Amino acid sequence: MSWDIEKIKSVLPQREPFLFVDEVVRVDAASFTVVAKKTFSPGEYFFKGHFPGNPIVPGVILIEAMAQASILLYAACKPEVAALKPDYYLGKVKSEFRQPVRPGEPVIMEIKGLKMINNAGVGQATARVGENIVAKAEFIFGVIRKDAR
Amino acid sequence: MANKIEDELKKIVSTITEIPLDTLKPDADFFDDLKIDSMKAIEIVAAFEKKYKIVIPEEEIPKMRSLSKIIAFAKDKIK
Repeated sequence: MSWDIEKIKSVLPQREPFLFVDEVVRVDAASFTVVAKKTFSPGEYFFKGHFPGNPIVPGVILIEAMAQASILLYAACKPEVAALKPDYYLGKVKSEFRQPVRPGEPVIMEIKGLKMINNAGVGQATARVGENIVAKAEFIFGVIRKDAR
Repeated sequence: MANKIEDELKKIVSTITEIPLDTLKPDADFFDDLKIDSMKAIEIVAAFEKKYKIVIPEEEIPKMRSLSKIIAFAKDKIK
């Protein structure tokens, strides 16, 4: 099963220019796995400064993209919680970056859930361009229902 | 085997909480005594599950409030 951008927007509160998932290629809630795709266009606002004449996707943006894909995985695993439109917040991130990502290169992010409960999620992400791993990250995020704030 | 699990769990909790092994008291309550936040608590649970390839049911997680309670759960599940 795949998700288009409208389905993605129904889960993620982020919007352009801070929405960093174009498509969910595969969702498998049974195995706690999501594969998502993002292609950064040459017109992204941050390429003007990162870096002039040498555009590279900032590592923090790659982390955000993988975190957004992790929320989509959470929504697939916990649809009853996601339906309540909770707030998601990052608790901890461990990351590494192996290769630069440039405009136009499709980034494929595979997220594996380690634990998904009503108020938190733990996941591992691997981002690839082609066969090459460009970044890896582990996330712990909290999930807070709006009526519990 | 039981002592090995105990030592391994103690190391997991010590690493995540950044509380030195020699000061980590088994019965200290994660929240009341050690002031661990809920993110660290879920990190401990996930690390525990990953290491021993077991699943702690969601309803059991709130009961995992100390190292000794995690050890007791582990000894029961890992024979």
